[in-house]
Amino acid sequence: MSAIISATGLTRRYGKTIAVDNISFDIPAGRIVGLIGPNGSGKTTALKAILGLSPFEGQLKVLGLDPRTHRDELMQQVCFIADVAILPRWLRVKDAVDFVAGVHPKFDRAKAERYLANTKLKPTMKVKEMSKGMVVQLHLALVMAIDAKLLVLDEPTLGLDILYRKQFYQHLLEEYFDQNKTIIITTHQVEEIEHILTDLMFIREGKIVLTSTMDEVGVRFVEVMVSAENADQARTLKPIDERQVFGKAVMLFDGVSRDTLEALGEARTPGIADIFVATMKGTYA
Amino acid sequence: MNTFKWLLKREFWEHKGGFFWMPIIVGGIMTLFIAVSLLIAVLGVKDGMQINGVAVSNLANVVGPEQKADFAARLVSGYAAVSLPILLALSVCIFFFCLGALFDERKDRSVLFWKSLPVSDRATVLSKVAMALGVGPAIAVVISALTAILAGLLICIAAAAAGVNIFGEVLGNAGTYLAPVQMAALVPIYALWALPTIGWLLMVSAWSRTKPLLWAIGVPLLTATLLSWINRMFQFSWDMGWFWKNIVGRLLASVVPGSWLGETAQSLPSEDAMRASSAMSDLLTHSWQLLGGANLWIGVALGVAMIYATIRLRGWRDEG
Repeated sequence: MSAIISATGLTRRYGKTIAVDNISFDIPAGRIVGLIGPNGSGKTTALKAILGLSPFEGQLKVLGLDPRTHRDELMQQVCFIADVAILPRWLRVKDAVDFVAGVHPKFDRAKAERYLANTKLKPTMKVKEMSKGMVVQLHLALVMAIDAKLLVLDEPTLGLDILYRKQFYQHLLEEYFDQNKTIIITTHQVEEIEHILTDLMFIREGKIVLTSTMDEVGVRFVEVMVSAENADQARTLKPIDERQVFGKAVMLFDGVSRDTLEALGEARTPGIADIFVATMKGTYA
Repeated sequence: MNTFKWLLKREFWEHKGGFFWMPIIVGGIMTLFIAVSLLIAVLGVKDGMQINGVAVSNLANVVGPEQKADFAARLVSGYAAVSLPILLALSVCIFFFCLGALFDERKDRSVLFWKSLPVSDRATVLSKVAMALGVGPAIAVVISALTAILAGLLICIAAAAAGVNIFGEVLGNAGTYLAPVQMAALVPIYALWALPTIGWLLMVSAWSRTKPLLWAIGVPLLTATLLSWINRMFQFSWDMGWFWKNIVGRLLASVVPGSWLGETAQSLPSEDAMRASSAMSDLLTHSWQLLGGANLWIGVALGVAMIYATIRLRGWRDEG
């Protein structure tokens, strides 16, 4: 299966600051990739390059097309919610559905209406009358009804309550996703998406610091609660992170075999959030 | 083509107030104004009025068929006068529509939503041009026609109430039917003439990061002022009047309907002629003669170039 997105030496400068620094990666079809990084790490800039919303240097092919020159063709196959979801204030729910149905050949009107029926949105409602969460619900209903090959979601659930967030990710997995589709998600609420991701990509200061499938993550990273007498021995294995819990050291290891670690204490697979925090140590220092 | 239809609908949803309700409200106010004036006049006649020192209670006794025909002709030529306030209001509306067309979507960041759909920058920008120069004027022309018909009807009813029946004369005057068509025939000239202003405003709208109004007005105004100053300082004999009229004027004021009048060799119809029933057709001939001059076409070329630049700018502008 050829790559949906293929980047080589992707770079983006804003004046003297480098937002995305010479990154290379491939994303095959049928994956759900979590692009995770702290604020200002270049996530949004990288996504904008992929979506043809901003210029860049280097090689980048999305569905085999250069987003700088083939944006119009690309948007037939790609859909996105970029940044904080914003819809124009004057737009009515029914007009929004009519418009997208009118211009997008892959929009499934019935599907959008079904999603909308699960919300409190009424057809005549204008965006300016909606709460923040309702705007996001409308936007998601429109986007989820488009049968795109690549879906990019940049903080899609910002401003939504936990009930709706759970429901949304469940929909995304059960109804939207299939092996011909690829989804890229960025979010700060990592715990909520870790169970749906197939791949993980950490970005820090414009560079990719970790790229791995979720299966590999489970093998690579192990967290061990080490008792005091084993602590020094454990430290020789170079944990990437160590914290103290009830007088015991909790250490996070990258690439140390689970068998070795289990001899030192209670081992478990860490959450993405823990790995993230360990990897990003010193970002704001 | 289907996409373009939806883009126009989109513009209409957003700007219904300016392009639809505004002409209706202006037309409505004018009709009301005319109705009240007529009511007062008719009541005045009933109370008894004096013409040449003779008290008359029934106008029918003093108005002959010739005067009736003359009155009908004047009524028909008043068509342009009824349209004028609506068209002036429209031009203000078009000015601000263009200035905000590509700026507001960036300001509220909804551009990211529009760009997530398979709609090209070219189609988007052209739909805005079509809204400003096609749909907007078309709606205004239809509403001014309705206003003029209503006003004419009111005047005829009032005249009848005063004892003078001019329905026959008005309905028998070819101008009654021609005037709306002639007005519609001015729309293409208007669209071509306004193109440099539309192009300039859209370009500023797509380019400026803040305060498009200041940029749009400031740049030509400051340039002209600076040039005038240099001209006086160094005593160059530049024709600054030409610059103000042809550069500043065309960039900012060409959206005003009729701003082209006086541009062609043929002199404008005199004031007397304006009152004649041929006023509208004179206006039309005068306007269409613009097509034979370079002034119009140079403006069109520059307008098209600026619209092209606008399309590219919308693609390049990196938001974020």
